[in-house]
Amino acid sequence: MKVIQSHNLSKSYGKTTALNDLTFEIEENTITGLIGRNGAGKTTLLKIMAGHIQPTHGELRIYSQKPFNNLERSAGTILIDDSMMYPDSFRLVDILSEVAPFYANWNNTLANGLFDYFSFNPNQLHSNLSKGSKSTFNSIIGIASRCPLTLFDEPTTGMDSAVRKDFYKALLKDYLKHPRTIILSSHLLSELEEILEEILLIKQGSKRLHLPVMELKELAVGIRGNAQILQPFVEGKELIYREEFAKDNLYIVLRKELLQQEGEVMKQKGLEVFPISTDDLCVYLTASNKGGIDNVFKKD
Amino acid sequence: MILNTDSIKPIYLQIAEWLEVEILNNNIQEDERIYSQYQLADMFTINPATAAKGLNLLADENIVYKKRGLGMFVSPNAKQFILTKRRKQVLEQMIKGLVVEAKRLDVSENELIKMIQAFKPVGKEEEHL
Repeated sequence: MKVIQSHNLSKSYGKTTALNDLTFEIEENTITGLIGRNGAGKTTLLKIMAGHIQPTHGELRIYSQKPFNNLERSAGTILIDDSMMYPDSFRLVDILSEVAPFYANWNNTLANGLFDYFSFNPNQLHSNLSKGSKSTFNSIIGIASRCPLTLFDEPTTGMDSAVRKDFYKALLKDYLKHPRTIILSSHLLSELEEILEEILLIKQGSKRLHLPVMELKELAVGIRGNAQILQPFVEGKELIYREEFAKDNLYIVLRKELLQQEGEVMKQKGLEVFPISTDDLCVYLTASNKGGIDNVFKKD
Repeated sequence: MILNTDSIKPIYLQIAEWLEVEILNNNIQEDERIYSQYQLADMFTINPATAAKGLNLLADENIVYKKRGLGMFVSPNAKQFILTKRRKQVLEQMIKGLVVEAKRLDVSENELIKMIQAFKPVGKEEEHL
């Protein structure tokens, strides 16, 4: 069943376009990674899903309903981000007990277990927490609420790497026992790709890719070697990335399906053919048209 | 349990290969139940869909078989099949790379064979790597 259906979704802030004609669907009880560079529109999209803001054009439906101004939807959705506000006078223990009644599936045992594991002091004020501790605390709420639609906007900002690993592990373990639809946004795919089923890659508000994360790893290949040998092989083919380096050296990235049997021949001619890491591929797919940072320095 | 996340090899392949090694090492016997996709997801901290793809890979090759409602079990002869397959696929691939690299470095066929014969694995652990 499709939980999220987005048709030609656009959002503008004044003259700035944040989302541009996004059409996609997300299946129930899957974990999807929403990946994009800074300013790609990830937060805007999550806020529309959570019903915090309205689209400018097109529509997005959650369980066939528009989320904006919809009480039923907001009871079944939680958006965890770093702008969550709590009353200044609330201690952490107060926040946990006040949040609980809002969510039907809230699990106190889990919330307290995680709270103790991450060594929080119940009497501390939220405003006094460090950046990473705030993220960790908010994530506990995100996991323990067990909302049918759980949205995390860059949840690991400021967390140290041990906490990050524990967070992803806790989220996955609870998901295995209590499946729900989860969307995690990040600019760094590598740290969460193992727990994902699907990836939605956006660039400047438009969809670039939406596919099972397993397919992403096998989508493209990189070829490196002597330019004269390599060039004839890729003539006329659409390249995802191309870089000339050193003397007569060429590095290109292209879709694997464009290569077929030539891969073996290339290897025998001394070219290196290798898979592309998902992180690198995402960088190539979302690169601007300005030819990379090197070009800035070439002008001297 | 730790996966090699830096490896370019897809996770589901790493899962399938890990299960094959478990079978080769007799940690899972023939006709014994193999881990479920949810157990694997929990053990390796991976998405259950990824784990399922690894298991299905083994099912496609008849290394495991499905029993309706009971899960997947290791096929009789699975061990022999894995051995034959690995000799053919893994070893042949490695040899291909070896020969190409030897050519690039101007190592003659005889020299290469001598180098292979001269190499002796140290200790018992090495054999399993």
